[in-house]
Amino acid sequence: MTQNLFVSIGSSDRPEARRAGQEAAQQAAAGLAGPARLALVFGSSWFHQEQLLQGVRAVAREVPLIGGSTAGEILPEGPVSHTCVVILMASDSLRCGIGAGRDVHLQPREAGHQAALSAAQELRDASRTGFLLIGDGLSTGYGQVTRGIQDVLGTSAVIAGGMAGDDLRFTKTYQYCNGQVLERAVVGALFGGVTWGVGIAHGFAPISKPRCATRAAANVLYELDTLPAAAVYEDYFGPVAARRLREEGLTRSGSAYPLGIRSESADYWLLRNVLALQADGSLLCSGEIPEGASLQLMIGSKQLAMDAAAAAARQAVEPMEHPAFALLLESASRLKLLGREQAAMEIARIRQVIGRDVPIAGCYTYGEQAPLAAGTSGAMAVQTGSVLVLVFGGS
Amino acid sequence: MSNRIVMVLIAGVTIATLMTLGSAGDPYAPVMMGIILSCLGYLAVKSQSGTRNAQDLRRLQAAYEQLDQQAKLIIRTDLDLHRTQEELDRRLASLMALHDLAQQLRVGRRTEEVFAKLDARLVSVFGFSKGLLGMCPTPGALRWGSFVGISSQEAEALRADIIAGPLLRDVLEHPRPQTLSAAMTPDPAHQRLLKALGVPTAVVAGIVPQGGMPGCLILGRTGAGLAAARADEELVAILANQLATAIENSALFDETWTARQELERNVQERTRELGEANAKLVRFNNAKNDFVSAVSHELRAPLAAIKGYAALMARGQFGPLNPQQAERLAKIEKHSDALAQLINDVLDIARIESGRTPMASDFIRVEEFLAVLHELIQPQLAAKHLRYEVDRDGVTQLRGDAQQLQRAFVNLLSNAIKYTPDRGTIRVGLRREGTDIVASVSDTGCGIATEELPRLFQEFFRSNAAINQQVRGTGLGLALTKRIIEAHHGQITVSSVEGHGSTFTLRLPAPPTGEAPRPAARDRRGGQAGPERGP
Repeated sequence: MTQNLFVSIGSSDRPEARRAGQEAAQQAAAGLAGPARLALVFGSSWFHQEQLLQGVRAVAREVPLIGGSTAGEILPEGPVSHTCVVILMASDSLRCGIGAGRDVHLQPREAGHQAALSAAQELRDASRTGFLLIGDGLSTGYGQVTRGIQDVLGTSAVIAGGMAGDDLRFTKTYQYCNGQVLERAVVGALFGGVTWGVGIAHGFAPISKPRCATRAAANVLYELDTLPAAAVYEDYFGPVAARRLREEGLTRSGSAYPLGIRSESADYWLLRNVLALQADGSLLCSGEIPEGASLQLMIGSKQLAMDAAAAAARQAVEPMEHPAFALLLESASRLKLLGREQAAMEIARIRQVIGRDVPIAGCYTYGEQAPLAAGTSGAMAVQTGSVLVLVFGGS
Repeated sequence: MSNRIVMVLIAGVTIATLMTLGSAGDPYAPVMMGIILSCLGYLAVKSQSGTRNAQDLRRLQAAYEQLDQQAKLIIRTDLDLHRTQEELDRRLASLMALHDLAQQLRVGRRTEEVFAKLDARLVSVFGFSKGLLGMCPTPGALRWGSFVGISSQEAEALRADIIAGPLLRDVLEHPRPQTLSAAMTPDPAHQRLLKALGVPTAVVAGIVPQGGMPGCLILGRTGAGLAAARADEELVAILANQLATAIENSALFDETWTARQELERNVQERTRELGEANAKLVRFNNAKNDFVSAVSHELRAPLAAIKGYAALMARGQFGPLNPQQAERLAKIEKHSDALAQLINDVLDIARIESGRTPMASDFIRVEEFLAVLHELIQPQLAAKHLRYEVDRDGVTQLRGDAQQLQRAFVNLLSNAIKYTPDRGTIRVGLRREGTDIVASVSDTGCGIATEELPRLFQEFFRSNAAINQQVRGTGLGLALTKRIIEAHHGQITVSSVEGHGSTFTLRLPAPPTGEAPRPAARDRRGGQAGPERGP
């Protein structure tokens, strides 16, 4: 027998954090018929985070809760900022286990393992749909985090999620787990009793000639075609712009020109943002770079980004019979690329694909995690510059 | 693959050549030679083709490099476009935020409220990550009105550092926004500020209104560089000016508010004082009335005795009177009557003022009312051959105390008769004006001097008209009439042209239509109420 999933969304942009959290949760609760089984919370990093969560918990007291700070929030009408979004889910069949792992910047694999283990212990032996991951957007070891989760859930587990942001300030992001506000952590919800459809795409295209990662370790790229990687990368921007990029820090501008790793089994480029040009001439990247991989500099365009959003939505909704809710986790760099007006059009296009009556909400992130085409390892699937569409349905 | 073929061919040519050399005269030698030549020819062609392929490859590589160079150009152009677009978007958003802020600040706000206006949205739209807006209530003092992106402890530490150093004074003396950069500034105060804020660049601006509390604005940027911060100085200057203007308005608002409060306090104070004075006057007046009533009562008894004894004597009760005695007794009686009238009037005025004579609220038939009046004054009219005209203009009813109103009208008519020469005309008019009945009593008499008009209704006032020198009066008739009309919630006014006559106008509330009127009073006392204009 089909079990329906009910989802209600609330939002508030009141400047007082507690009131914003409370108002958003009240709105969401008012739209939900049954008792909530899970709360997803996305809050602007400008809010006082503890007060924000207190406001939410004042309404959704005992409801399992995960979430994180953002680089902007997404509502059905389009992108917003300085807002708290609360998503409440209710279903007779929905089961959730919540978990958190700390110190993701120091011990990413252990953090992933801990989060997955706690969640799995809570869910016990219920059927597992997938693991929704929200992590610190300023940490880079998500390949290891994924491995840590797979250590618990197995390599076939579907892991999807996004990395918390801080409104492009790149100083501190926050993760929410029940009543706690965490930093440098990963939190996750292991779902059972619902169905998922996952779609991810980015819309960046290669522009440079392919170059070989002749020396790389984890997420540090030392050499490209045996030349210092930073010099090769900077050469594409010219000396003046490169100096400015160094001055401003690459976290802001580097996301517009990521490195693309061509997937061996599919016509797909995994994206890696360049986070910093290091003193030893290496590049610090947002994800792992396999040594010997063929890399190309990528460039985005608004049209490609819009097309990619529609493709991700199609990919996510295709296996779903009755989509009940679409969670949108989208790279902050895409918001920069599109601008607010076109970002709203992009969301409208996603809704067109999924169905205009399907509730949709989410946030802008510093990284996206989703399984790619068959043959792509989970560790490789953490990327940036992408739009992740996660469609939920009843069991 | 082709290299392998070439190697085989070279080996084959070498072997064939050696075999040919070793087997001269052999019948297969020409064949071998042919093979050798063919191979050599093939090698020659292949060599040429290889050279061409190498050239093609070099050309391809060059084109590939060219494309990569073009990619660099595209990326640089794209980066510039991105930056320009981003900057335009940010500036547009900043201007919108400034506009919104201006709208909010248009409403009169207190100075503290203006300094509390810095919020996360404003700071982030301007492209900054941290911000503080402080006010200086006294020179050298600083209090944060609002701050964003830093904790209370950090803000307090920053405040202590700023007031300890020269930064605040500098900012207030030179309020124009200035960019501080950790990489560029040698000033230790600036370095400390940036360190405390935890940012590489910041923009600091003074807020110096023409009137009101000065302050300072500090905005810190975490990520972007010096160039971006400098570009923002202009926008920050607009923001600081907007805040300064709002503070000026706020100061004016405060001043106006304080003045208004002061004025309201003064008005309340004066009203209270006037109330007290009025209450005191009322108390005095009541005391006066009580005194007058008491004295009048005390005078009445001996006066009655005087009159009584005089009457007895006049009737010869105590023996016959000679003519001189009779004449004196008649004077005693006449003056006793005048004194009694005076006492009655004084008592009536006192009673009406103190509310001890309640006015009835009856419906009075105008026709009967006027008839009674006419009957009362007819002898006086006849004595002076005066013409008496009445115009009631369809008014059929009055409402009030018939006896007291009759008294008032008799007073007015008696005055009119008194001051109108023989064969003159007295007119009584009645008309309805809205919710009022307006009655008038006019004469063609000597009129009243303009300077006397304001005092006409005062007690004991008598005009200087020649006739008053001949006729005695109490000076209470008009005062009593005014009290009666006012006790009916009416008004009495007078207009006069000296030598042509006077008109007294009474305005009384009209009775509602449709109620049965009451017969007019037949009490003659009204006719005896001292028909005097003045004493």
